[in-house]
Amino acid sequence: MTRRWHRIFSPVAVSAAVVLALAGPAAAHRLKLFVTAEDGEIGGYAFFVGGGRPEGVEFVVKDGGGREVFRGRTDDRGNFRWRPSLAADYAITVDAGDGHWVEGRIEADRLASAIVPTAPGAAPGAAPVAAPPSASPPVSASLACPAPFDPAMLSRLVAAEVDRAVARQVRPLIEAQDQAEGRVRFNDVMGGIGMIAGLAGAWSWAVSRRRRREP
Amino acid sequence: MAHIPDGVLSAPVLIGGAALALGGLALGLRRLDEADIPKTAILATVFFVASLFAVPVGPSSIHLLLSGLMGIVLGTRAIPAVFVGLLLQAVLFGFGGLTSLGVDVVDIAFPGVILGVVARSLLRGASGAGAAAIGGGAAALSVIGTAGCVSLALALSSADYLPSLKIVGLTYLPLAAVEAIVTGFVVAFLVRVKPEVLALEDREGEPA
Repeated sequence: MTRRWHRIFSPVAVSAAVVLALAGPAAAHRLKLFVTAEDGEIGGYAFFVGGGRPEGVEFVVKDGGGREVFRGRTDDRGNFRWRPSLAADYAITVDAGDGHWVEGRIEADRLASAIVPTAPGAAPGAAPVAAPPSASPPVSASLACPAPFDPAMLSRLVAAEVDRAVARQVRPLIEAQDQAEGRVRFNDVMGGIGMIAGLAGAWSWAVSRRRRREP
Repeated sequence: MAHIPDGVLSAPVLIGGAALALGGLALGLRRLDEADIPKTAILATVFFVASLFAVPVGPSSIHLLLSGLMGIVLGTRAIPAVFVGLLLQAVLFGFGGLTSLGVDVVDIAFPGVILGVVARSLLRGASGAGAAAIGGGAAALSVIGTAGCVSLALALSSADYLPSLKIVGLTYLPLAAVEAIVTGFVVAFLVRVKPEVLALEDREGEPA
C-alpha cells in the first residue's frame, strides 16, 4: 500500500514542490486601485498585484448618487486623472475589459479645500471636467494676485497648502498600503495547502467508512 | 482572466454556470475513489499555487491554469480539484468571486476535462515527442477553450464587453504556448517514467 501511494505521489509531488519553491510573496493576480486627491484633482492608477497596469482602458467616475459624471481612458502608463468642478463623494471604476474591474472612492473632504464651490444646486460634473494639465491650481492663482487681507481667504489658503503638503507626503504610504493589501502572503498560501490536505483526509475518511459499511 | 470577480456577470450566466459546476462537481466526486484522492489533492494544490503567479501581458495579466494537465491526469476529478483551488483563492486572496465561482469552475475545468478525455485516447501507445505533442496540444486547446468560455460568459452578460473580447483572446495566446510547453514536458515525463499515474490502460477516456 505504502509503495503504491509512493508511486502515485512522487512525480506530482515533485511538481508541487517546484511550484511551491518558486512561489514569491508578491506573485498574485488581482486588479487593485490606487486613487488619491491632490490639488483638487482625482488621480491614480489600477494595477495587477504582481505586476502590470491596464493601459488604455476605460475609467468611469460616478458621484455619490451613482450618476456617471466622467468617462475617460487610462494613459500609456495606466494612470488616470480628472478634475471635478465640485467637491463631492466620487466612485472611480477601472474596467480592464477582460472581466477584471475595480472600484475606489474619494470622499468630498479630500477635495474640499482645493475646489471653489460652484453655485448651489449645480450638479457635480455638469461643467466640463477634464482640466488641462497646465491649469494652475486655485491656490497658486490666488497667491499671484494678492488681495486685501482677508482672514477667511488666508485660512482657506493655509488649509489648501497643508492639504497639498500632506497629500504629497501621504501618497507613497497609500500606494504602499494598497500594494501590501493585495500581496499573497506565505502564511495564507500554506493555510490553503493545509486546507486541501485536510479536505483530502476528510474525503478519504468518508470513503473508507462508506466502504466498511458495504457488504 | 479566468478569475472573473463578483459584479461582472449577469444573474442568468451566474446561475447557469453554478448549475453546470454543481453537476460537474457531483460527477467528479462520484468518481473520486480512495486511491485517487492523493493525486487529486496534489494537483489541486499545484493549481492553487501555480495560478497565484501572474505575468503582465498587454493591458491584462496571465497566470498558469494547468487545466489540460489536470484533465489528462484526473479526468472529471479535475472539477472538484479546480473548485477547491478557486474557492480557497477567492476566500483567502479575493481572486475571483464567490458568486462567480461556478462560472470560473466551468471556464477552467470543463475544457481541460474534455480535452483530457481526447488526449488520453490518443496517448495510448504514444511516447516521447508524440506524447509531449499530445499533452501540449491538449493544454493549449484547453486554454483556448477557457478563453472561449470566459468570452462567452462576458458577452452573454453584457454587450459592453464585446469590443474588449479581443483583449481576452490576445492575452490567452501566450498562456496557451506556455501551458503547452509545461504540460507537454510533464506528460512526456509521466509516460516515460510513471505511466501508471495516467492509468491509460484503464476505462475509456477516464483515469482509474
